[in-house]
Amino acid sequence: MPKTIRTGLIAFAFLSYLIFIGVPGRIGENALPILAVVAGLFFWLNLRREVGRKGDSVHVLRAGLQAGATAGLLIAMESGLFATLLGNGVSIQPVFDKIVPQNIAALLGVRPGAIAQAQVPLLRYLLQVVYFTGSGLLGALAVAAVGASLRTYFSRPAMVSAGRWLVIALPFVLLAIVIYLGLPNVKLFSTNRGTVRLLLTLVTTGSGLFALRLTRPGRERMAVATLLGLGVLSMPFALDQFQNSVMGIVFIYVMMGLGLNIVVGYAGLLDLGYVAFFAIGAYTYAFVSAPFSSPFIRSLLLDLGVSADSPLLGYWMALPLAMITATIGGILLGIPVLRLRGDYLAIVTLGFGEIIRLFMLNLGELTNGPRGILQISQPGLFGLAPDAFSSGQLSSQGWIFLLALLSSALIAFIAIRLNDSRLGRAWIAMQEDEDVAQATGVHLVRTKLLAFAIGATFAGLAGQLYAARQINIFPENFSLFVSIDALALIIVGGIGSAPGIVLGALALKGLPEVLRGVDEYRIVTFAALLVIMMIVRPAGILPSARRRFERDSSDLDDGEDEIVVNSG
Amino acid sequence: MARHAETAQKLRIDEQAATRYIGIAILALIIWRVITVGLAEGYPTSFWISQALNGMVLGGVYALVALGYTLVYGILFMINFAHGEVMMLGGIAGFFALQFAQGQGWMEGPWLVVVVALLFIMLIGMVTSVLIGMTLERLAYRPLRQAPRLVPLISAIGASLFLQYSVLLIFGVSPHSYRKPALISGGLRLGNVFIPYTGAIIFITSVLLMLALYFIIQRTKLGRAMRAVAEDRSTAALMGVDVDAVIVVTFMLGSALAGAAGVMLGFHNTVVKFNSGFMPGLKAFTAAVLGGIGNIPGAMFGALVLGLIEAIGPSALGIPTEYKDVIAFTLLVLILIFRPSGLFGEVLSEKKA
Amino acid sequence: MTTLLAVQGVTKMFGGLTAVDNVDLEIVERSITSLIGPNGAGKTTLFNCLTGLHRPDTGEIVFAGRSLVGLRSDEITARGIARTYQNIRLFGRMTALENVLVGQHLRLRASHWAAVLRTARQQAEERAAREIGRALLDFVGLGGQEEIISTNLPYGEQRLLEVARALGSRPRLLLLDEPAAGMNPRETERMMELVHRLRNERGVTVFLIEHNMKVVMSISEEVTVLDYGKKIAAGAPEAVRSNPRVIEAYLGPEVDQDLRIDREMQDIT
Repeated sequence: MPKTIRTGLIAFAFLSYLIFIGVPGRIGENALPILAVVAGLFFWLNLRREVGRKGDSVHVLRAGLQAGATAGLLIAMESGLFATLLGNGVSIQPVFDKIVPQNIAALLGVRPGAIAQAQVPLLRYLLQVVYFTGSGLLGALAVAAVGASLRTYFSRPAMVSAGRWLVIALPFVLLAIVIYLGLPNVKLFSTNRGTVRLLLTLVTTGSGLFALRLTRPGRERMAVATLLGLGVLSMPFALDQFQNSVMGIVFIYVMMGLGLNIVVGYAGLLDLGYVAFFAIGAYTYAFVSAPFSSPFIRSLLLDLGVSADSPLLGYWMALPLAMITATIGGILLGIPVLRLRGDYLAIVTLGFGEIIRLFMLNLGELTNGPRGILQISQPGLFGLAPDAFSSGQLSSQGWIFLLALLSSALIAFIAIRLNDSRLGRAWIAMQEDEDVAQATGVHLVRTKLLAFAIGATFAGLAGQLYAARQINIFPENFSLFVSIDALALIIVGGIGSAPGIVLGALALKGLPEVLRGVDEYRIVTFAALLVIMMIVRPAGILPSARRRFERDSSDLDDGEDEIVVNSG
Repeated sequence: MARHAETAQKLRIDEQAATRYIGIAILALIIWRVITVGLAEGYPTSFWISQALNGMVLGGVYALVALGYTLVYGILFMINFAHGEVMMLGGIAGFFALQFAQGQGWMEGPWLVVVVALLFIMLIGMVTSVLIGMTLERLAYRPLRQAPRLVPLISAIGASLFLQYSVLLIFGVSPHSYRKPALISGGLRLGNVFIPYTGAIIFITSVLLMLALYFIIQRTKLGRAMRAVAEDRSTAALMGVDVDAVIVVTFMLGSALAGAAGVMLGFHNTVVKFNSGFMPGLKAFTAAVLGGIGNIPGAMFGALVLGLIEAIGPSALGIPTEYKDVIAFTLLVLILIFRPSGLFGEVLSEKKA
Repeated sequence: MTTLLAVQGVTKMFGGLTAVDNVDLEIVERSITSLIGPNGAGKTTLFNCLTGLHRPDTGEIVFAGRSLVGLRSDEITARGIARTYQNIRLFGRMTALENVLVGQHLRLRASHWAAVLRTARQQAEERAAREIGRALLDFVGLGGQEEIISTNLPYGEQRLLEVARALGSRPRLLLLDEPAAGMNPRETERMMELVHRLRNERGVTVFLIEHNMKVVMSISEEVTVLDYGKKIAAGAPEAVRSNPRVIEAYLGPEVDQDLRIDREMQDIT
């Protein structure tokens, strides 16, 4: 089969998937042109790989034409099939939920009524073929244009230097927009202005990380970092409750990611049950800071002469407690499992995470079971609520975001310094070769336990803040997916790298919130991106220095067409 | 420093002995609990027998899925996290095949027609799973064969989520309910023990499929190639084995078994929906690890043990059935702590060490 | 002439195979001793027993007056034994200097809290460790290559780096597992010179496994020969070279096929 036909078939499969999950119907009247643009993008990426290297533009254009026409013809046939079936009163919905007249009508650019009455003009199908052939040509044109000339243009030293300063300036420009200028009333699909601002906030923070990487180490980096830090710290004061709550969860996950990174990224112990320590921290805090709901404890407390309705400890008093319980949890889990290796460790920790959740669910006496613990008290500052000490500048979620930011900074600081010390060297050595590390003098059990305990402590901190953010917590907040999210974000961001973890959290916990407008496609988009990410950039978006090296030396052959962000 | 080491020396307890004592203590605790609580409830013997039979049915299904994990792990050293979803998709396809068969009136026909129809449904489920498994291997795993081990795992997690939520989007939220044909909805009564036909059929089919797999692996040229690749991929390649083809076939075999399991689980649980592959997948993986991952008879046995414990455990220990997952995972943790490479040991431990 | 290491009746079995069979051995402080023998004679297994990677089934290992049996390998390293590996096992993602710093791991005392706070003492210790690391790299001839990722070094230099890493733990006894394997004559020369300097300048006792007879004969003061796990000869190089049992062990297949088969039969029964 010629490669161009294959490209067309793949594009057809991809577009069919979009039809089956109901994307055209969701977009509405402009579905066809939008899908054509998406297909064009697809053709660009695909043709670049298949034929782009040959550099002959006529050849590329012909390939684009063939591939586009193939996809267009097939899509037209598919829509024809569905339109005919639906027009004859055959209901496809019991099998394929989204194959309804409205969806197919959007794909053909007609009214849904036209489908039901089987009155789709032939011209419409022709138009589909034309559109997708056009996207094939568009993709090919992009390949021909971008392929050689632009790349050489942008790699001139002057352009590189200008680009560097542009990237460094970008977060500041965005920050100014986010904080001061406000936004015009833009609508993106069905998202609103608040969501657009959230997206900008996420992009600002993320671009700040890239900017930081492009600065030269030393004074320049310190200056940019300080300015960026101040900018980010001012965000909680400027954003609204919703945006703050999303940024809060992003940075709570940064805290977790940094902790898990010590276990997985530094010490090389694959932990899939990390949620356990998060849950321990959250429940410990909830337990001492919410009115007790379990009759058993209530009567116990009443016997002791303590009121069961007012919380025992405030946020700051409970802080050491949540940390200590999580640390103990980490050590208790660590001791038995340290002899296990690799995947066994993964599955046992996974089991442990599930056990903790099931206990939370079923120990009704203590945790109130599935009904959860309600009315967890909020952190204050010297007994003052956030709007009191900030004279109304800080919302409750803004305060949580601020706390998460500061805690993340503290955790990152500790993690980076530890990684820079003999302990960090021992972790990496152990990850590379346990036997040799031990024979070189590394106490394996102690070193592993330290990783587990420190990781658990950070998760406990994150859990406590999470409980405060949620106000009410339930066992289902602590499912396996928390562990998976935490693991995925450190891997997507770049394992072993603190900026990478922040970026990973922004992408994995922040972006889906922006996509709330297209809620039903959130998870498939995320999941597909996860797979694609792993194939395109397995070392993560902002890999650590070590991993970058590893990639440079091992995958020289397939690293050609990615944008490598070099430091310095 | 020297003094420090000296004290450490004195404080050292022989690690193996210590684990042994802890193991014996836990075992004693469990036995004590079974005797004082579980047996004291005074359930009749027939209750225990039917629970055990139930557990065997479940174990049979777990075994089919566990084999998929073990086969893939044995060759690629990767946890195919999306394997549960491959199974679920087999179940979904089986559901539509069943719908079709019912629409044609096959399910009310003479018994031979019903049997052929059931085989057809199973075949559809298996073929679907095989196609999904192959696609998965080609798109999500093959490009990552040289990457560090965490990378394919994350890719697999992504694929798992993608499949689950695609099913939700494409086939809708309403669960798909399997309706059993009249012919197999009854059961056999032996004294006080009731054996449902579906259970018996599921168990027997599982055993037959496992025997078939065992035959393929031990007796055919293909099986020999698979074992060679599992042993040492690069040497096998040098010997003229087409490694890519072997890996694809491995995925196909594992997926076919999972597809069959999906259909049978559909009949057993009566519903299939987008996330119904997740827990069984996790359990099956647990079973594979229990038996020693990469070890085929180990996976079968581990699955049976897990199924039995899950069915009998809650009653025997006198705790609510909601804890059956806790029991499964606790069992896993305990066994791995005392036998770090599973009940039967992994077959390939040497190479990875 | 004090004895640093005494091995008494050490046996190590793997399943039915006796890898090390009732071996006695003594190593004198500040000596250079070689361990030779045909492939599979149990040399590396003996090294593994000495460094705690394997626990001997029977026998006693006494180092500087105290028993080592049952200690973990990091404890043994703390007592003063360090080693290199036959198939180079560097920490491949680390730079040369970082490898040597890991070698110094158990000689560093600063607490992890100090590392987080970067106390003056911890910083001083780190600086000192880096200095020592550089000096060690200089010593083995890798001066100026501190920041190179270890796996990017040429093969021969990787072996030198392993020696430097081992020296990081300040060992009294250094075990070298085929230090000259795969090296060209010039590199071999360099390694031999290094072994001499180790003993002469740093006072380290060296115990090495080597296949290159030229190396063995020219640098060792004492040679022990293993065959099928058993010690068959020991003594000065010249004496060992002319020992008929050693010649037989090395040229065995042609000279004495039958004896070998007999021996194998004994092993099975």
